[in-house]
Amino acid sequence: MADKEITVALSGNPNSGKTTIFNNLTGLRQHVGNYPGVTVEKKTGTVDYKGYRINIVDLPGIYSITAYSLEEIVARNYIINEKPDVVIDVVDSSNLERNLYLATQLMELEVPLILAFNMADIVKKSGKKIDIGLLSELFGVFIVEMVGSRGSGSKELLETVIGVVSSKKEKKVELKYGEEVENEIERIISVLKKQKVSIFNFDARWIAVKLLEQDREIIDTIKKASGPEYSKIDETVRSSINHLTSILRDSPEVIMADARYGFIKGALLEAYKETGPVKLDRSEKIDRILTNRILGIPIFALIIWLMFQFVFTLGKYPASWLGLGFEKLSILVTNVVPQGLLRSLLVDGIIGGVGGVITFTPNIILLFFAIAVLEDSGYMARAAFVMDRVMHKIGLHGKSFIPLVIGFGCTVPAYMGSRILENKKDRLVTMHINTFMSCGARLPVYILFAGAFFPAVAGNVIFSIYFIGIIMAVIMAKILRATRFRGESDPFVMELPAYRIPTLKGILIHTWERAWMYVKKAGTIILAIAILMWILFTFPMIGNNYSKDYAGEIEETNQLYQSGEITSTEQDREIAAVEAEMAGERLAYSAAGRIGRILEPVFKPLGFDWKLVVATISGVAAKEVIVSTLSTIYSIQGTGEEADSLKAALNEHYPPLVGYNFMLFTLLYFPCMAGMVMFRKEAGTKEMLFQIGYTLLLAWTVSFLVFQIGRIFI
Amino acid sequence: MRRFGLGSGGREERRRHFVKEDFYSMAEAVPGKKYRIIKIDGGCRLNSRLCAMGFMPGEVFNVSGASMGGPLCIMVKGAKFAIGRGMAEKIQIREA
Repeated sequence: MADKEITVALSGNPNSGKTTIFNNLTGLRQHVGNYPGVTVEKKTGTVDYKGYRINIVDLPGIYSITAYSLEEIVARNYIINEKPDVVIDVVDSSNLERNLYLATQLMELEVPLILAFNMADIVKKSGKKIDIGLLSELFGVFIVEMVGSRGSGSKELLETVIGVVSSKKEKKVELKYGEEVENEIERIISVLKKQKVSIFNFDARWIAVKLLEQDREIIDTIKKASGPEYSKIDETVRSSINHLTSILRDSPEVIMADARYGFIKGALLEAYKETGPVKLDRSEKIDRILTNRILGIPIFALIIWLMFQFVFTLGKYPASWLGLGFEKLSILVTNVVPQGLLRSLLVDGIIGGVGGVITFTPNIILLFFAIAVLEDSGYMARAAFVMDRVMHKIGLHGKSFIPLVIGFGCTVPAYMGSRILENKKDRLVTMHINTFMSCGARLPVYILFAGAFFPAVAGNVIFSIYFIGIIMAVIMAKILRATRFRGESDPFVMELPAYRIPTLKGILIHTWERAWMYVKKAGTIILAIAILMWILFTFPMIGNNYSKDYAGEIEETNQLYQSGEITSTEQDREIAAVEAEMAGERLAYSAAGRIGRILEPVFKPLGFDWKLVVATISGVAAKEVIVSTLSTIYSIQGTGEEADSLKAALNEHYPPLVGYNFMLFTLLYFPCMAGMVMFRKEAGTKEMLFQIGYTLLLAWTVSFLVFQIGRIFI
Repeated sequence: MRRFGLGSGGREERRRHFVKEDFYSMAEAVPGKKYRIIKIDGGCRLNSRLCAMGFMPGEVFNVSGASMGGPLCIMVKGAKFAIGRGMAEKIQIREA
């Protein structure tokens, strides 16, 4: 039925309600991906309407199509290169003058444009009226009124889209910049034509305008296209800019912006008597409290605390149910599948590995639910405002605080949460230091080691590790900012949108997307890594090369029980002890055990032996696995007093300094495989490798210094 | 000479006059007063950005809040923005 395909690009200012309209149009038929080569999110969706299949692309929210931010470049390039059949610009009708600025720029791109006047109810409620017909005439575009929060207007919008596509009727109004500027535009156009610069996809007038505005992207494109001829173009543009600056006393980009606003004001004067925006009293009142000089930070701290509780305390229950479910599944598989490699692969490798990762899903769902509420309500921008000064001191953005706090719970959602930072450098630095926020999975390791070596002051020791983590984060943020991520960080201007009550639909869609992405990762790449880890810890198999006759020992125990010399519990304990010892030997024989021995010399200066190295390697799967690996290595049978006997074994084998050092190393090296998979997804392979490399180097260096210096004193 | 306004006194007075009446940077703006933007001293990129956000020369704005030493809250063209001190220093303003 849907035989004709149309592509529609949805653009609009941030906070214009664009996403709500996108959700209304497409429902759950959405797909989230990235634009090729960049981390800007690309959302697409489809809707079938009257025999058309309409593909809708949700472009990033932008204020203009200058080349200021990655989002703007992405949106602009999409429109220029992909040539969508229609571009819809979502406009907040309660603030027309500001929102129409983007519309004037889209008009210049000469694409079939429809303006969606969102939040039309707010305008009506304030008793004002927009003469849509007249405004549409003046702008030369179609205008549809809608109320995104109530879902009204979607049908009319789709109807207009089809109308524009099928009639091919193009209204066109050219925006004029005044005589002086127009003369210079003409001059540049004629030079461009003379140089025969053929720039595929671009319109000469538009290029001339962008050259006058000194748009970096366009300058680079022209430079490439014109080769040696560029100097003539450049000369003309420079002389035009100088000429305009001297007669109009302002730089061309400001003059042209002024002309665009002038055009908008003129149109609004005719079609909308009140050009001023609708007042936002309620938002003002809320802001007086939430961004108050004195109350702002305590309120922020409270909200973050509540969010943390929501995500991790509430999330603990469903997470433990999931954990229980996987446990039951393991038991089921153990009972069904005969003992052997297949069972081991299923139970230890796949269910253990993937299950451990899937168990975090409830936390991730709750986290993104909380983030969506904070974002859609308008508080997130205030949080950044309140925290900016503190975070600025270490070279981060106010919003960085949120993923960093999340990192104390789990680093995986923290990486995903870093998306709230629009600036790439801010985002990458925040991600690169997030591992130093001790996640929940590291706590069992700290508890074990602090309990083993410093039982009297375990709490303080653990606290010191957390504290060192924060200090390292501050130091590394400064270092990264001064080296790899140097250069102008984006100057801080950010809109504080009016407070709104978020719509449940929007929040649920947002949460669903993230959770699904995580589960998909767990089912694919994390599954592969889990199997790889299992192989490392299983092969080569020891076969009959045990150092002792374990089978004989077990047989002996069985006989003792049968002759009544020991009870059945004693028998069980004996057998468990023997089996634990066997497991230890199997591990030592495996590839992981061998790698541990090979790497031992590298870790010797830190005071680690091969056993601790193997534990560290197993920590790549998930940090809490370190504890179970050490139990295996030290042949501790899993019978309840596990923790205490493991503590005793550790205390016997290592001095306290090495114990502390191991905690430091566990703190500093990169988080688990799920974390790295997410890192790669969010920041690319190169950054992930950098994260792995630099945290390993840092962990080694710090542990080296602590051990070598500590040895002198102890 | 002084009578013709050519002496140093006259120049001094003119300069004082100039300082008193004219420009501050946005970073010095205080809540409760209205100001007008005179000029933005950014590069082309920053200028374009600020213009798109409504920070246009000639525009009247007021400060609706400020965190100590941190960004300012500016109400301009019907929307509210947080703007860092560093950036605010690049915007020349005058009381309106």
